[in-house]
Amino acid sequence: MARQRKRPEPGEAELSMTPMIDVVFQLLIYFVVTNKPVDVITNLDVFRPAPDRSAPKDTPPPNLVRLGVYKDGYTVNEVAATLPVLDQALARLAALDASQTIMITVSSFSEHGQLIKALDLCAKNGLTSLSIVSAAN
Amino acid sequence: MARRRRNQQPDAEMDMTPMIDVVFQLIIFFVTTADLQAKALDTSVRMAMAPNGPVEEVKDPRTVTVDVDKDGRISIMRTPLTENQLLGALVNARNTSGQSTPVVIRGDVTTSHADIKRVMDLCGRAGLWKLRFAALKEKAS
Repeated sequence: MARQRKRPEPGEAELSMTPMIDVVFQLLIYFVVTNKPVDVITNLDVFRPAPDRSAPKDTPPPNLVRLGVYKDGYTVNEVAATLPVLDQALARLAALDASQTIMITVSSFSEHGQLIKALDLCAKNGLTSLSIVSAAN
Repeated sequence: MARRRRNQQPDAEMDMTPMIDVVFQLIIFFVTTADLQAKALDTSVRMAMAPNGPVEEVKDPRTVTVDVDKDGRISIMRTPLTENQLLGALVNARNTSGQSTPVVIRGDVTTSHADIKRVMDLCGRAGLWKLRFAALKEKAS
């Protein structure tokens, strides 16, 4: 609000800024007090292959990495693994080729949090081509 | 706000009241609408932590967020849905915004995968293939 004034005129009413500043401070305090920190949410992308009825049910190609999520733990290419071992295995795989497809087989009895942990490790190692298959057992 | 004055004319003070009114209206509008976004999420769903997940800069406005609580109950925007209703909503989303409409599944950390699978299968039946799982990157302290 640049206001140029060459000479003050007598009897001019000045605009008092004090009440406005008071109100602005009130608002500021209100927002600072009521402001709640928000959780940062991330979205983990997956690809879900459509069941292809015409495709023969043969074994998946050998270069496909198979990750299993079960109620009591994880497997990498059918070998049982804990989370740190899984992390190391995924880091090795990502170093070879980060664009390779990881096929994640999830047991119906596992908890959703376990799948998220596995997907988190994939995201950590830069593996983005993730395919999710649900197993009945 | 430059103001020119002629020397001999009486000074007309600018009235601040309408401006303050408008500013307050804007503040009230933003405060109420900002809250709506948070209220749409089901607070009973405790999401799993994924500290390494990517952060989305721009959210696709077509996104459909499906909540699945720990007992497998499905809801969208806090509205409980049966499987058929969810399928109808997803088909509707596919018809209006296309096959690439992203579906975000917000599952509880203890939700059984069988319940998540039901939602994923319904997405498949509706013809939506862009699935994502919501997780917590950082928990607010």
